[in-house]
This record gives sequence, C-alpha cells and structure tokens, in this order.
Amino acid sequence: MRRGLVVLLLLAFPLGAAGAIPEEEVLDVAAQLRCPVCQNLSVADSPSEMAKEMRGLIRERLERGETREEVMAYFVGKYGEWILLSPRATGFNLLIWILPFAAILAGLVGVILVVRRWSARARALPAAATPASPDPAYLERVRRELEGSEGGLRP
Amino acid sequence: MTGALGHFTLILALLVTLYGGVAFVLGVRRRSPPLLASAERSVLVSFALVTLALLVMEYALITSDFSIRYVANVSTKASPVRYKIAGLWGNLEGSILLWEWLQILFIGVAVFRFRRRPHPLAPYAFAVLMGISAFFLLLLAALTNPFQQHFPVPPDGRGLNPLLEVTDMLVHPLLLYHGYVGFSVPFAFAIAALLTGRLENEWLTLTRRWTVVAWLFLTAGIIYGGWWSYRTLGWGGYWAWDPVENASFMPWLTGTAFLHSVMIQEKRGMLKVWNLVLITLTFALVIFGTFLTRSGILSSVHAFAEGPVGIFFLAFLATVVLGSLGLLLWRAERLKVPGELDSLVSRESAFLLNNLLLVAFCFTVFLGTIYPLLAEAVRGVKVSVGAPFFNYVNVPIGLALLFLMGVGPFIPWRRASWASLRQSVLWPAAVAAVATALLMALGVRDFFPLLGFALPIFVAATVLLEFGRGIRARRRLQGERWFAAFRGLLNRNRRRYGGLIVHLGVVLLTIGIVGSSTYKVEREAALAPGESFQVGRYRVRFDGLEGAEAATHFRVWGAFTVTTDGKPGVVLKPAQRFYQGFDSPFATVDARYGFREDLYLILAAFARDGSQATVKALVNPLISWIWLGGVVILAGALIAVWPVRREAEP
Repeated sequence: MRRGLVVLLLLAFPLGAAGAIPEEEVLDVAAQLRCPVCQNLSVADSPSEMAKEMRGLIRERLERGETREEVMAYFVGKYGEWILLSPRATGFNLLIWILPFAAILAGLVGVILVVRRWSARARALPAAATPASPDPAYLERVRRELEGSEGGLRP
Repeated sequence: MTGALGHFTLILALLVTLYGGVAFVLGVRRRSPPLLASAERSVLVSFALVTLALLVMEYALITSDFSIRYVANVSTKASPVRYKIAGLWGNLEGSILLWEWLQILFIGVAVFRFRRRPHPLAPYAFAVLMGISAFFLLLLAALTNPFQQHFPVPPDGRGLNPLLEVTDMLVHPLLLYHGYVGFSVPFAFAIAALLTGRLENEWLTLTRRWTVVAWLFLTAGIIYGGWWSYRTLGWGGYWAWDPVENASFMPWLTGTAFLHSVMIQEKRGMLKVWNLVLITLTFALVIFGTFLTRSGILSSVHAFAEGPVGIFFLAFLATVVLGSLGLLLWRAERLKVPGELDSLVSRESAFLLNNLLLVAFCFTVFLGTIYPLLAEAVRGVKVSVGAPFFNYVNVPIGLALLFLMGVGPFIPWRRASWASLRQSVLWPAAVAAVATALLMALGVRDFFPLLGFALPIFVAATVLLEFGRGIRARRRLQGERWFAAFRGLLNRNRRRYGGLIVHLGVVLLTIGIVGSSTYKVEREAALAPGESFQVGRYRVRFDGLEGAEAATHFRVWGAFTVTTDGKPGVVLKPAQRFYQGFDSPFATVDARYGFREDLYLILAAFARDGSQATVKALVNPLISWIWLGGVVILAGALIAVWPVRREAEP
C-alpha cells in the first residue's frame, strides 16, 4: 500500500523531490494563470497537455524555493500580462479593482439619502395636513425638530 | 431553389412585420378596429412566414442540402438526425432565425391573450414588439441570410463543433432564447406606458407573469448551461466567467432586481422611474450580450461570427437605450412620486439594498467582461479578466445578498418593528450560530466558507420557520392535514411563498457552490494497467483502454475501477473523442454522482499501445446541491406564476 503510493507519487510528479510541495499549492498558483491554448480556462482547470506542462513547471519552480509571485512573474515575462487571470492592481488596472467598490459605496449613499428623504416626508405629512399651520417655514422647523428628536430607529 | 424560397419568405415576413407595426399604431390612434384587426392578422401572417422559413431550413438540414452554406457548416451526411435538427441553432445565422421565430411566437401569444381583454397599452406594446421582430428579420434578410447558397456544392458538410454534439445542445440554447425573448414583452409594455402616458402600475401587472416566465427560462438556461459545462466540457467546473456566460448572467441580475423592485411600485406606488430603467436595462443587456458574443469582438468558446453584424447590433442597442432614455426624460415630470416611509428599516429599504447589490453585481460582471477591450484600447496591452477577479469582487456581494434574503422578506412594509423582526429572525440566527459552531468543530476554520455555509443555513431557517408557522396555524384553525395546509398556505399568497421557495433553492445552490469550490480535491496520475491511486475516499484502478468508431468520430476510453472506502464499487469510463479536422481530442468525462460528493474522472492522455493512461480525478463535494437548488428554484417560480382559482379560499 505504502509502496504503491510512492510509485504513484513518482509517476504523478516525475520532476524534483516529490511531495515537498503539496498539490494544492501548485493548483493555487495555476488557478491564477490562463491556459494559453484553451478558451478561458485556468491552468489549474484545463485538461490540456500544455496546462499539464505548466503545472509541472510551477511545481519545479516552487520546489526550487521561488515564491508564488516569482513564479507568476516568470510566466508574465514569458507570455505577457495576458497570462494573469486577474489584472495586477497597478496603474490603469486599478480602475477595475476600485470601480466596483466605489459604485457600491456611491449606491449605498444614494439609498440612504433616498430612505431618509422618504421617512422625513412621512413624518412631515401629518403636520402638513393640519390647516392651522400653513406657514412653510414653520413646517420646515417642525420637521427639523421632529428629525432631531426622532432621527434614530424607533424602538 | 430551397435557398431562394427561404430567403424570399424572410423578406416577405419583414415587409408584413413592418406593416403590422405601423398598423398597430395607426389603428389605435385613429380608433379604427378594422385596422387593428388587420394588424393582428399581420402578426399571424408573419408568424406563418417565419415558421415556413424555419421549416425550409430544417428540411434543408435533414436532407443535407449542402448547396446552402449554413447547412454545410453545421452538419455532415453522417450526423444523427437530432443533431441535424439542432444544427438550426448551431451557428450564428440559424440561431438568429430561431430567435426571431420565438420572438414572433411570443408576439402571437401576447396578441392572442389580449384579444379577449383588450387594453389601451397593448397595441403600442405590439408595435414595439413588431419593431424588435423587424430588426431581427432585417438582420436575417440583409446580413446573416441563413439560406445563402454557395458553389461548388461540397460533397459533405463540416459538421457541428464537436463541443456542441451533445444532447444538452438540444435544450440549453432553447431555454436561454426563451428567456431572452420573454423579457422583450415587459420591455415593450414599459415603452408603451411611456408613449401613452399611462404610467400607473398597469404595465407591470399586465406583464408580471411574462416577466416571471422569462426569468424562469433564463434561470433554467443558465443553470442547465452549468450542468452541461460540468458534464461535458471536461474540465470539472460549471462556470468559468466566460463572456458568453456573463452575457446571459447580466440580464439575469437586472431582471432579478426588477422582479423585486416592482413589488415596491405595486404596494406603494414608488420607484416608477427605477422600474422603467431596470426593465430597459435588462432588455438592453440581452441585446448587448448578443452583440458582445456574436460580433466576434471578444473571442470565446461560443463566439463564432465576425463582420458587419456587430455594428448592426450596436445601432439597435443605441436605439433601444437612447430611445428609452429620451422617453423617460420626456415623461420625467409625471413620473415623480413622493416616497414615504415611517422608518429607516423597512421592507422598502431592504428592497433598495437588494437592488443596489444586484445592479452592482451586474456592473462588476460588465466591467470585468469589457475590461480586456478597454485595456487594449487605452494601454495597448492584452489583459485577461477571469475567475479570480470575479470571485474576489462578487463573493462579498453575494454574501450580502444572502443576508438580505434572510432578513428582507420578514421586515414589514413601511416600518419595521423590532419585536416582529426578532420573532422571525431570532431562532434562525440561533440555528445558524449552532451550525457555525458545528462546522468549526468539524474543522471549517476559514472565514468565507464559514460565512458561506452559515448564511444559507440562516436563510433556510427563516423560510422554513415561516412555512412551519403558517402550516401550524392552518392546522390549528382549520384542522387541515399537513399537505392540505401547505397547499392552502401556497394558495393564499402564491407569489410570496413561491418566492420563498425560490430563496430556498438559492440556499441549496449556494451551499453547493461553497462546498465544491472550497473543498475540491484534485489529483492527476499516469497509470499502467493494474495500477491504482487514491483520491479522497476513493481508490481508482486503471484496467485498460478500448477504442471504437462512432458516426462522426473515433472514441477511446479507459476503464477505471473505483473502490470507495475499500468497498468494491463501479467502473467509470472517461473517454476522448477524435474528430477529423480537429487537432486535439475532446473529452467525455465519466463520474459517480452523489449528494455528498461527485467523483469525476477525466482521461487526460494515453499511450497508443494501451500501456499507460493519464487520468485526472476530482472530488467535488456537494456539487449536486447546485442542480438540486436549480430544480427547487424552478419549482418555486412555477408555483409563483401558476394560475390559481380563488374560490377555495374563505
């Protein structure tokens, strides 16, 4: 059983000292790289021969003591930035990393403003319905006061 | 001859459709019933003509009439009949013909339904729909004529892309097209509302069922696409954030936002502009997705066209977007509705957040999909945007949506009282906390998987608690049996309870996604016959290779005996298919599917003498829950739209 496993490991990973780097780590790096001969698949997912060789190369380099960044930099040097499945967060690329979160924040501010306006109006309405106080300035003051006293969440 | 007949039919259909569109508008403006009746007949005629064109194409496909270029492109003499038939949607021209046929079919159904109960909005909406239909017919007649003939006539055709020669090909595109076409109906009624100034809720309520049905088809199409990808594309995954997938997902996101936000307008009369914007956006994204994937502007698995088609689509897209925008501005004054809310926390605010997140999700997908184009234009550098980016940005959004899903449906309209909220959320929160503790005890330590399991459990608990309470109340008050109580509950508010069942499906789907993406185990090994290796609980032994000739390809498969935890199990036979004219083989995977996990084998390579096979084995935990979730989602949506008689209710 144990011998079988060793044979297996040697067969599966003929390069370098087998087992030094867990398969998961190789796949983690491979998942960041695009398989150059496939349609939109990562090196980790692709069943192609090319991707298999690249996984071997990743393992070899990791075993040599290179960091993940160095391994990825090697592939960028060889294939260009295109090989990375997520663009590096520098320069113009920052756009794609920042814009989604900026949009959510802006939207959140918008939602809060809308909800506040709506709830402010609801509180102002009973006052507006009273004919005894037609003065808009007065109404505005009442609303502000109401907002001041009941601005938070009601129990 | 056949080709000329088909093309002539399409031109005729275009003329009839244009006439119909104009007749609808003139008929309603001049209050002329005969003209309106004539317009309705023109829909029928146009439908008959497009059906004829479709049949001519199918006839050419089935009889292998290779004088038509399209037929030669998508079939061979040897193709099985079902794939000859499916050749209709195997490439650009045929797909558009099918799309147009569905479009005119939907218009026909809409006309038929409104015949009994005429509505002032309907003729305008039909005119808009005929305009859309005319766009596709013009495209077919002028640019992508599927009946184009060529000389000399080749002795045999090229055949379908082998990736498409699978049974799923018969289903998946049809589902998607139904979804795409379906959204044109609510869009048309929205435009009709803007045109006529009838801006109340009519356009929403008239098309509510259409919208849910379109959403249902689109959802089914997307999930079925994932299922197809998983079983047949041979890489072990179901979603690659491919531009084509994104193209179908973007309208789904805005469509889902629309389904939720219409409830605010129906209940409270607010958000009128927003709903018009959302449905326009949804329809525009359908067209945009088609433009993106069919114009050849991005290259991906499915993008198979190039040429002037792109510009044509872009012009149509501009018309849709700018036209709607213009109409909205024109009606802006009348669309203003002062909103009112008693407290910051209310169902309305939950829906607003839901809309914000769904639209932000869509925006992220949009940005990621077009960013390679943008980067190339601005920086002159080719970049890729793939799964790591989409997952990084969208996972937090998805989790936030799940949280809302657990809380939102139980917050009352206008104003939340903490007491009522506590009543529906306290127990589920406790359940989720216990589940989290259990998961941690089982060894789940990372933040995102923990949250990714805890939130769906929370949502499921809220939904089940709601059902449980409702059923118990009915049993107590009316003495009903369990099932009768359940059915009675559904009938009381099909939309709400159907929606909650949809949420339950999303819960299952999420658990499947989190489980399979976090705990996937992957091993690859080169084995000689008799050798085996271990992956997860499984021992996989290679028994030998075999090969055989099939109708369109040569097939080589390996036999692998799988033992689970030492118990003798099944034989799996992953294969490779070799097609003439293609350098690399196509994989046919084999798998042992189960609720706990799937064992999935891919034959990666083999020695020609049979002395060795390289096999990739994946253990995908909980992945079946995704498909199960899909089924539950569809069931919930069906419950929500199913027509129900009211008399059973007291």
